[in-house]
Amino acid sequence: MSGGENGHLVLDNVAIDFNGFRAVDGLNLNVARGELRCLIGPNGAGKTTALDMICGKAKPTSGVISFEGAVLNNMEEHAIARCGIGRKFQVPSVFRELTVQENLDVAYCRHTSILGNLVRFGSGADLDSLEKLAELVGLEDYLEMPAGYLSHGQTQWLEFALLLAQDPELILMDEPTAGMTAQETKKTADLFLRLKGRHTLIVVEHDMGFVKEIGEKISVMHQGKLLAEGSVEEIERDREVRAAYLGSGGISGA
Amino acid sequence: MDVVLSQLMTGLSLASILLLVALGLAIIYGATGVINLAHGEFVMLGAYSAWALQTFLGLGLIESLVAIFAIVAAFGWVIERIVIRHLYHRPLDTILATWGIGIIAQQAIRLTVGGELRYVEMPKALSSSVSVLGVETSAFRIFILFVAAALFILTWYLMFRTSLGIKLRAVMQNREVASCFGINSDRVYSMTFAYGAGLAGLAGALVSPLKSVSPEMGTTYVVDAFMVVVLGGVESLIGTVASSVIIGEMTGFLAFFSNDTIAKAVVLLAVVVLIRFRPQGLFATKLRS
Amino acid sequence: MTNRTLRQVVVYAAVCLAILLVPTFVDDPFILNKYSRYLALGILAIALSLSWGYTGILNLGQATSFGLGSYCMAMMLKLRTVPVHTGSEGLPDFMVWNNVETLPWFWFPFHSLTAGLFLGIAIPVVFSMLLGWFIFRGRVTGVYVAIITLAVLVVVNLLIIDQQRYTGGFNGITDLAQLEIFGLTFDAYGSSSYYLIAGALTVCLFLALAITKSKVGLILQAIRDHEARVRYFGYDVAYFKIFALSVSAGIAGVGGMLYTIVMEFASPTFLGVSLSLGVVIWVAVGGRQSLLGAALGAIVVTGMQGALSESETFLDTWSLIMGFAFVLVVLFMPKGLAGAVEALYARVFGKGEKAKSIARKAEGGLAKPASEPGGAE
Repeated sequence: MSGGENGHLVLDNVAIDFNGFRAVDGLNLNVARGELRCLIGPNGAGKTTALDMICGKAKPTSGVISFEGAVLNNMEEHAIARCGIGRKFQVPSVFRELTVQENLDVAYCRHTSILGNLVRFGSGADLDSLEKLAELVGLEDYLEMPAGYLSHGQTQWLEFALLLAQDPELILMDEPTAGMTAQETKKTADLFLRLKGRHTLIVVEHDMGFVKEIGEKISVMHQGKLLAEGSVEEIERDREVRAAYLGSGGISGA
Repeated sequence: MDVVLSQLMTGLSLASILLLVALGLAIIYGATGVINLAHGEFVMLGAYSAWALQTFLGLGLIESLVAIFAIVAAFGWVIERIVIRHLYHRPLDTILATWGIGIIAQQAIRLTVGGELRYVEMPKALSSSVSVLGVETSAFRIFILFVAAALFILTWYLMFRTSLGIKLRAVMQNREVASCFGINSDRVYSMTFAYGAGLAGLAGALVSPLKSVSPEMGTTYVVDAFMVVVLGGVESLIGTVASSVIIGEMTGFLAFFSNDTIAKAVVLLAVVVLIRFRPQGLFATKLRS
Repeated sequence: MTNRTLRQVVVYAAVCLAILLVPTFVDDPFILNKYSRYLALGILAIALSLSWGYTGILNLGQATSFGLGSYCMAMMLKLRTVPVHTGSEGLPDFMVWNNVETLPWFWFPFHSLTAGLFLGIAIPVVFSMLLGWFIFRGRVTGVYVAIITLAVLVVVNLLIIDQQRYTGGFNGITDLAQLEIFGLTFDAYGSSSYYLIAGALTVCLFLALAITKSKVGLILQAIRDHEARVRYFGYDVAYFKIFALSVSAGIAGVGGMLYTIVMEFASPTFLGVSLSLGVVIWVAVGGRQSLLGAALGAIVVTGMQGALSESETFLDTWSLIMGFAFVLVVLFMPKGLAGAVEALYARVFGKGEKAKSIARKAEGGLAKPASEPGGAE
């Protein structure tokens, strides 16, 4: 297991109980800095719930989640975010009434206090750098458009841009390629490969072709627990994983 | 002992009136999620209907009850079709819109009928005093108690024993899925809204002989009814009854010991604290998340 | 500064200038007094626009801060009146009539002018901070916030009415001295009061505008749009909301203090449900997301009510019309008249896609149901 004394992101026997239903049941996960980890598994395996617990949307009922030594269990969402954790949600969550530019301004969150932001106008960031981000995701012509008028695909890209503007150390992605064309999926894969190293990424995905393209280490979840962990080849060969999820075809193309 | 019983009766009397008003509000809120600030005006319109039927058609209160229900229910149905159905996904805006409708209703009454106090005669048959467990109570108040109970049972029956009720409960749980099963949610909503309005109208009619009828009379009722709904939660009808009784008794009790003003203030503060710490009300079943 | 901001500043300045120039054309002290009242209510509207229009907090109890401010001013001015009204030993007359022996502790600070002025802002602000802490730390949102703020307003109202020995009860605090600062006397019917209020309106307007244009203003709007998502960027939403509520309270408090000067009394109606719900209507119709729109909404509507107050029928008809206008605005024009004006301007004078975007933004209507990001609804 890599990582320093305290590890980078460590989930230690984490479980969560919803009125008797254990969505996550004794999950152990250890992600090293700069790693690109894919989290796969059948529906209901607890993948999204695991991400929820890391970013603070849900609170684990037992176990410890720590990031660079800081215990995240009882921290509020904004405190967790300030530790350097950002998330892209399954359902597009942008600020629909604000323009694309304004969305990016909000996402540029180097300073999160009230006093600090009272004396800042606009984004407080380099106008250039945010425009470059917009260019990266193909939205440079839509800066004044209220985000609610963007197409579904454009909204997804805006979400990526927001995450990049936030620039967190740990990025949690929940089904980033949902609804994307093959071309867009390729673009996303390139983006992820560029991000890893400087950022740590955890990607929940169903698109196996995409996983194969970007994945180094894969964690497979099933019924709230970790079923298997390893490289793409190892996972493909694993009998239990095939039985629970992949089927006899293995990880074939998209 | 006498004092306690007398207190209980007063509280119960307050509670039954409150229940009548709150029942309609709870059903509307529970079914459609609409916070109907015009509910007080439904009460007011019921009272004015009673007065109008009495003044222009010479009908007594008891005979007019069914007609009054129909009149106010029709009004509620119209409101739902014209205004409310645009706002189902905007809860804050329904508060504002319904309150605007309330203002329109009040002003319309003022401009047509006039703002002076009007009076509705108490039915002769019920105007005597009756002795209950040694306490003197007005027969009419007992009548209200019975009507409230009967309406509650009727509502319960409609909700849980008829096909309309099943459709309503399905729509309450999940509107889209209910539509997939062929349930016309639009119709269910408008009929529910009309029913809730009709109940409020009956409440207004029944209360009219006790107090005078004026355009503003509805406002106090809507605030009180709200407290009942917030306290009782919208998951259960029983909750509505229980909280009507609680709030009715508490108000009477506190008014007895200090004064009306402080009583109201304490009840309001209690509700504020409740909203903060248990927004689903006292009687709601545990939801999944 | 963007073009749009520049345009806004120019329009705001022009309107304020026009307001400040009114006394040069209008001489009648009674009319000036009426106008002053409308302006004070305009300040109240600015407060609500900040908390509701920008931050999405439907504060049905905005009048609480307004009323608290007005009572502070009244208490201070009451203690300065001629002994005839303060009875023996410097006690306000209503206390003497109620057989109160000594001045209650909370009246003492109001002997001092500076303290009185300070408290007129500080008390509403601290009250709102505590209320905000209670509400927002508890993650209460939407409808429940509205209910709580209204309930709190009613409680404060009831308490003030109940404690009539110390607060003047139903009748409020009347027979006040005139405010004197730096040798200037502010006569309720003079142009001095008018200028004072118009000046305060200008200051509040630009202060609020500056806040909305800062990054804080942007974050508040993001909170209004999608509160939960804002947290995941690292912003403490509760603090920002408390901030918005408190600043609104301060502005409303200023409005309340000025209102007392111009009405020459303070009464529980300044903390009343009618006023508090009324300002919501004025702001909705004028345009909740425009500070100037909100202020003008208040000024014009109360102005019309004032003009029509001669005839009861006219007044009732006006209220009926307002009721309709309100419902229409809520249904079809969420950004009120100001939003409609801005959309029109963009369509007529703007060019191309950018203008269309601006027009769409100005019209609003993108509000979606509040839900947690991730779609677990």
